[in-house]
Amino acid sequence: MPRLEDLSDAQRQAVLSFPCFDFDDSLLTPFSKRLAQTRLALVTTAGLHVLGDRPFAGGEQGYRVIPAATQAKDIVMSHTSIGFDRTAYYRDINVTFPIDRLRELVDRGELGSLTQNFYSFMGAQTNPRQILDETGPEVARLLLAEGADAALLTPT
Amino acid sequence: MEAPGLPTTTLVLLKEHAQRVKPPRALFVPFPYGFALGKADDPAFQHRVIAAALALLPATNAPVLAEFPEAGDAPARLIQASALPRSNSDGDPADEITATRRYYLRWLEEHGGRTQVGLSGISQQRFRGLVGFLQQCRDGVAEDYPEDYPERHADKPLPQFIRHAADDLKAFMIEARMAQRPQDGANQLQEWFWGETAVGHLLSSLAASLRERGDERTAAGIAR
Repeated sequence: MPRLEDLSDAQRQAVLSFPCFDFDDSLLTPFSKRLAQTRLALVTTAGLHVLGDRPFAGGEQGYRVIPAATQAKDIVMSHTSIGFDRTAYYRDINVTFPIDRLRELVDRGELGSLTQNFYSFMGAQTNPRQILDETGPEVARLLLAEGADAALLTPT
Repeated sequence: MEAPGLPTTTLVLLKEHAQRVKPPRALFVPFPYGFALGKADDPAFQHRVIAAALALLPATNAPVLAEFPEAGDAPARLIQASALPRSNSDGDPADEITATRRYYLRWLEEHGGRTQVGLSGISQQRFRGLVGFLQQCRDGVAEDYPEDYPERHADKPLPQFIRHAADDLKAFMIEARMAQRPQDGANQLQEWFWGETAVGHLLSSLAASLRERGDERTAAGIAR
């Protein structure tokens, strides 16, 4: 979001009152590879999926597989909230899900490779306990099995 | 995702939430929802965002919450239908769909077929019928919803189908407008759609009608 001081009072209140977890510390898995040797995964919480795949329902905490080779024209967003502006996404999927940018990094040799699959979750979760305990770790295990070295996460 | 052994770096739009959730590596980007990488159609800008996020991967002391130093071009305030004066309340949305189609087809042609239209599962060639269905939804009073739409997929609940149908019409119109006026910014598109189009009027009046009947959940996906 823009900095809170740039928002209207109503927007600021909506942002600050949206529920989220409070953790005392972070869990960190060390990363020591060079990017040029890294196999990167892309994971989003923007409610994206392959066209024709089952759309997300609000609050759903499952995930969808988006094969990394999927073309932008075959990806849609079923997060249909009017709480945000989607015209930038209409113009350019990379503003949310930077598939073309990551392919360019691989082509330039700056990034080693991409995982075979990318993954997507639904956004605007008020209590994502199932993602925390089940589906998030499940996606991480799937990505590790694909040889992922790290993941880039993008929001709506 | 870190627990099973996968290092992550994440873009965050809400710094205040990131300070509470404490993801191990986070890049705060000062952009609104819908603009996570800052600017559409600006690969160089997007690459700078990605580079800043990936640069956090070697960090060893978590949590790291870095800030992206550049501003985007997204408007800070979101335009909502209810905030706009209307200038086309009497137009026929079905006729508007027909008149707009050639610009939508131009959008498809210029963007390699990429479109956000498709959630409802109804072909855009049938959107006049979809408009009629949403008008029935809006005007129904006896029941929560009118008779079903014949082509609705059985797995999709009717309220979700209504949201997806509304979303498809919105995407169809806005993509057509972007083909016509590629220079228009986000707020200009929103002002045009909600303030000047008959389809926008249909969707805002549909949302108001659903809200009156107590279905805030469906209305909230359509217009405010």
